[in-house]
Amino acid sequence: MDTNILSLAGTSPVVLGVFVILIFFSVVSWAIIFYKLVQIHKANSESVRFMDFFWKTKRFDTIAAQADRFASSPLVVLFNEGHSELKQLMDAEGKQEQSGVSTDLGGVANVSRALRRATNQEVNRLERYTTFLATTGSASPFIGLFGTVWGIMVAFQGIGMTGSASLAVVAPGIAEALRATAIGLVAAIPAVMAYNHFQHKIRVLVKEMDSFSTEFLNIVQRNIAGK
Amino acid sequence: MQTLQRRSDTWLGVTLLLSTALHVAAFFVMVWLQRLSPDLGQVQTTYYVDMVNLPVASPQSGSPIPTPTPAREEVATAPQAGPTASVKAAPKAAPMAIGKSPSTAAQSFQERLASLAGKAAEERQAAALASIREKVAGGRAGMPGATGAQAGSDYTAYLHSRLKDAFRETISYQSRAPFVAVRLTIDGEGRIVQLRLLQSSGDKVFENAVQRAISLAQQRIVPPPGHTVYQGSFVFKPQGVTHQ
Repeated sequence: MDTNILSLAGTSPVVLGVFVILIFFSVVSWAIIFYKLVQIHKANSESVRFMDFFWKTKRFDTIAAQADRFASSPLVVLFNEGHSELKQLMDAEGKQEQSGVSTDLGGVANVSRALRRATNQEVNRLERYTTFLATTGSASPFIGLFGTVWGIMVAFQGIGMTGSASLAVVAPGIAEALRATAIGLVAAIPAVMAYNHFQHKIRVLVKEMDSFSTEFLNIVQRNIAGK
Repeated sequence: MQTLQRRSDTWLGVTLLLSTALHVAAFFVMVWLQRLSPDLGQVQTTYYVDMVNLPVASPQSGSPIPTPTPAREEVATAPQAGPTASVKAAPKAAPMAIGKSPSTAAQSFQERLASLAGKAAEERQAAALASIREKVAGGRAGMPGATGAQAGSDYTAYLHSRLKDAFRETISYQSRAPFVAVRLTIDGEGRIVQLRLLQSSGDKVFENAVQRAISLAQQRIVPPPGHTVYQGSFVFKPQGVTHQ
């Protein structure tokens, strides 16, 4: 009896295929985990720094000029989108005043829509690839279970052919088959944990983006009302 | 919008490489740990001891009737230590007692106590010996001049035990209540020279299992007592092996 748990000798091709799929799932999900850890950490830290800079610097033009320093922050994207929309609004308003046409363009609503669109796109960007983690977490144990069931079927066929039911004949086949479930769980557990962690972090960032949008709109409305 | 499109996932390729490296490293760590851990080696064969028909390593002709002399010596040696020591210790203890207390009454008391202890030990030994004799007389006792091939002889029990052990490893059947009766002929060297199928339920898988069990048992059996030819019939059923 081969006691080496890493030996693949005598493993059925279907179970080997299951191993390959599960290892692929594991490799890709860990790559996504590392990528998302870096991405969300940078988004959080640069958002904090950007908010400090935003409240210290009163002028939008100055902030827009320095925004590239905080490129990983989703709040910078919101600011750029809002500021861009605001500039277009101001330009259009100036042209209308010159031509004597009505100036009621619903400017704040435009900026609000721009901010909402930017928020949605940032959420999409932050949530990208996390669905793969969810898929790995839910499907890997079942794929591993399939490999185990198949391996046990093959093992029982072998037992039937040899005609012996002793432990030395039964145990290796079942032990080999159970490795598929083990690998499935090894792939699934980190993926599920990481998915939950990232979902929590993304929810926090979404709330920050909503808060920033509200603040930005308040500032815009105060300025437009003051004119 | 333009800002969003500019953002690419360049880091994803790097993390993919990192993840691959991590998995390869984890694999090598597991291989290394596997080498560090003590080798489990081959699975040891489990031996079952039949406590009812205890086989003997070198079966003699029939079951030897224990001669009284060695049995008495063997039994007597074990419990001797206590009482004898106390009996012998008494005279040694006496001078010390005299040295400490000149009273002769105390000395005589010690001597009487020692003699009583000695008598009690002798009675216990006699009772134990009688009990062993009763057990031997009530159990299987070989007949003088027996070949060991008779029913109930030790060689039959020994062979029965070997067959049962082997049959546990090979048992396999397809029908509901299979059985096979075989007659074995074992030569003086302990080889199965003839295997005759007396009766069978017709289950080929079960017959093969019986054949494999006999082949397996053949590797372990010792020659019959006196290197005589042994013949015996055994019935194999899923419940076990019985001697016919």
